[in-house]
Amino acid sequence: MISRQGSRSGVHSAALLAALLALPPAGVAPTQDTEDPSPHSDAELVSEVGTIAPGRPFTIALRLTMDPRWHSYWRNPGDAGGTTTIEWHLPEGFTSGDIQWPHPRRIEAPPLVSYGYDEEVLLLVDITPPPSLAEGAAVTLAARADWVVCEEICLPAAAELELRLRVRAGPVAPNPRWSDAFAATRRLLPVRPDGWEIRAWRGTGDFVLAATAPEGWDGSPEGVYFFPARAGTIAHAAPQALSRDGRTFRLSLVTSEYLHESVSRLEGVLLAPPGTSWRAGVEAPALAVDAPVTIGPPTAAVTLITALLFAIAGGLILNLMPCVFPVLSIKILGFVEQGGADRTAIRAHGLAFAGGVITSFGVLGAILLGIRAGGTLVGWGFQLQSPAFVAFLATLFFVLGLSLLGALDVGTSLTRLGALLGPSGGFGTSFASGVLATLVATPCIAPLMGVALGYALTQPPLPTLLIFVSLGLGMALPYVALTAHPALLSRLPRAGGWMVTLRQLLAFPLFATALWLVWVFGRQTGLDGATFLAGALLLLAFAIWVVWRWPRSRVRRRRWALSRGLAAAAAVAAALLALRGTASQPTPVVDDTWQPFSSAHVAGLRASGRPVFIDFTAAWCLTCKVNERVVLATDEIEQAFRQRGVTLFKADWTRQDPEITRALESFGRSGVPLYVLYPGGRYNTAVVLPVILTKDIVLDALEGITMTKGTPP
Amino acid sequence: MMRAQVGLGLSGLAVATCLAAVPPLRAQEAAWAVGESAPAFTLPDTYGEEHSLADYRGQWVVLEWLNYECPYVRKHYDSGNMQQLQRTYTGRGMVWLAIVSSAPGKQGYHEPDDMNAISDERGSAVSAVLLDPEGDVGRLYGAKTTPQMILIDPEGTLLYNGAIDDRPTARLSDIEGAHNYLVAAVAEAMSGGQVSVPTTQPYGCSVKYAR
Repeated sequence: MISRQGSRSGVHSAALLAALLALPPAGVAPTQDTEDPSPHSDAELVSEVGTIAPGRPFTIALRLTMDPRWHSYWRNPGDAGGTTTIEWHLPEGFTSGDIQWPHPRRIEAPPLVSYGYDEEVLLLVDITPPPSLAEGAAVTLAARADWVVCEEICLPAAAELELRLRVRAGPVAPNPRWSDAFAATRRLLPVRPDGWEIRAWRGTGDFVLAATAPEGWDGSPEGVYFFPARAGTIAHAAPQALSRDGRTFRLSLVTSEYLHESVSRLEGVLLAPPGTSWRAGVEAPALAVDAPVTIGPPTAAVTLITALLFAIAGGLILNLMPCVFPVLSIKILGFVEQGGADRTAIRAHGLAFAGGVITSFGVLGAILLGIRAGGTLVGWGFQLQSPAFVAFLATLFFVLGLSLLGALDVGTSLTRLGALLGPSGGFGTSFASGVLATLVATPCIAPLMGVALGYALTQPPLPTLLIFVSLGLGMALPYVALTAHPALLSRLPRAGGWMVTLRQLLAFPLFATALWLVWVFGRQTGLDGATFLAGALLLLAFAIWVVWRWPRSRVRRRRWALSRGLAAAAAVAAALLALRGTASQPTPVVDDTWQPFSSAHVAGLRASGRPVFIDFTAAWCLTCKVNERVVLATDEIEQAFRQRGVTLFKADWTRQDPEITRALESFGRSGVPLYVLYPGGRYNTAVVLPVILTKDIVLDALEGITMTKGTPP
Repeated sequence: MMRAQVGLGLSGLAVATCLAAVPPLRAQEAAWAVGESAPAFTLPDTYGEEHSLADYRGQWVVLEWLNYECPYVRKHYDSGNMQQLQRTYTGRGMVWLAIVSSAPGKQGYHEPDDMNAISDERGSAVSAVLLDPEGDVGRLYGAKTTPQMILIDPEGTLLYNGAIDDRPTARLSDIEGAHNYLVAAVAEAMSGGQVSVPTTQPYGCSVKYAR
């Protein structure tokens, strides 16, 4: 083999400066103007084989040798320095593969950390010759190598290199001169993580890399280090905190201050502590990592089975949530009225209801999947983020309330809607009421099911669907149980006049729900919007009164037609008014304590080491409102925030907001509430507070933040 | 039950992140943040005149971390790329401050007169070369490499901090065809838009800070 490169003369910075001062005018000087094109280092091409054979791939290497204390760099040079590149000039028909990089070393120069090599490194490249080559011919492989060599200072280096190899048929002869060096280098190449399960996610704003060892691996990960393949992903100089849980260990990797876009894969090399191997019986200090980055932690504990169990339990609890309460009361009424009927029919009603619930959960899951596939940034609970949907629900509850009061007893076009609540419905009606129950329940799920849903959203379609179906199953279980054991049903009081009272009484939870929905609508569209909606309800009430006052059976046809025309006109006007309401814009809430959420603003403050607190909330989220009233908005807590100079953000998800949806997803959540504290400091890592807040939880979390003297910015 | 489970899981998560968040290095070292006010500073230039960032309120400001001997810096000066940007932007009324954070005795550090001589010889067209031998301003802006570029708008808001372009090499031939992040940020910001790439990993020689 032949290699051409410059002599190994050292160039001192003084000499360099002298050379620099003598430079010709800008624009003319080449980069390499010193005498030695490869200062403080040498390059040559070396081959693992002595001869080559037609069509048989072989490996050669760019061998870089550095003066003591000087280094060259890995594929990701880290905070400073530059990677090595090879430009091949190969004979016709020859192809070259990518550089196979042995694992690098951390080069620390506080506050910077770079990744590179000392003394000597072989960068391996596979070369594939064409299938036809003349026996005995000499082949010349040429390349231009460019690298950077640094000690305290950095110098660019380059070399034009050649390697001559002879073609010989038959087995390829090894090259004893370099075979040891190649073998040693191959041991430093990252191995495929066979048997290892590697996962990555961005659960708390930073990256987490989790590796689960195969059975029988008895090494210790203490001192393990992750080299990211790309710069600008993780902060190279940041410590990598290790935590262990059985056969799984996790590395917390601080996000680079220069990262501004999402990262879909975490690629790099895991370096084992000295003396440790990733594979039993062989030396394998480096493990290749290329893991998809999921949103949110698929915590080891949450396997699909536990997620499904969580989902069923969550569904059960849904029955107790405030926003399900009206429907639950409707169904209790239904059970009471069905109590007298045939038992098999009751059971069938229960099953039909359950079917309705489960089916609609399945449909919701499918819709969510479809939307997710479509790339739209919409999270769970999205129904209530649409003002039109809120207006529709408010109207629905209002009309249902009127019907419970008896305003819609008689046959009108709304009978079928009223029948959802009535005793005379068929199985189809029971099914439909299951669907209604689901529709109303959905917004309650997000706060309860944050983790399980976060998990679901990161899963392929089938598990996602299964989780949704399990939610429905859980919610439907009590109804199935009650109807399957009519003994429990028969304990319910007998039918009688009290039922009318109960039925009318149940109108009021519905009105209360409608009122709450009008308030939510008001948060979305302002006072004007809410007033338009209230006006729409007024017109609707008028229309229903007209229909009730002149029932078909008791009035003449002309009067009937006239009244129906009037009712229809009022209903249309109501719809137009509600529609007008959705177009209103909310009055901006002036709040000098909490600023509106901006991910760029938060990222900026975070990078600068300042403490930040984010309240992810929505008007329709009751838990959020309770936490705000009881904890966050109290003088005590606001003062504690102020004293520590914490910048407070309110991420209001009342209306659909892609930026907030994305932020929630980055924490593995698909709903509110979510409370995130960045405590400040050099590596401002997020702390996620529990869903149910107390003052002590917040004060404890703030404990680590030092009080600032001045007023916060 | 469900709520307790979730709560438990969440507090476990919170504890884990607390543990991971213990900052072992000097806290509050860098104070820059995109979208925030650029950290205030006052530095002398090579003629002994003091420059405060606040003096330039109302003007667009570019900060360039400079070390004339760094091959990555030389790539942009030997090609004339940097000087051309300096001429273009200062010609449009922008302020261009080159900051040298090299410590005395380290690469890139020169006495003011020598620095002026090199700047003249290189055809530099900056508004001023500022001397930061203590490295305080460099650390304030998290300057890691030379070159590293920062853009500040007339309200004093930091809009870009990172590499000059997307070719992290010291080769002159890589100037042509590179995507210049600073140019893109200036164009986007001046047309009233958002800077779409507000940060990139800077590349080049390490800033030769005092230890």
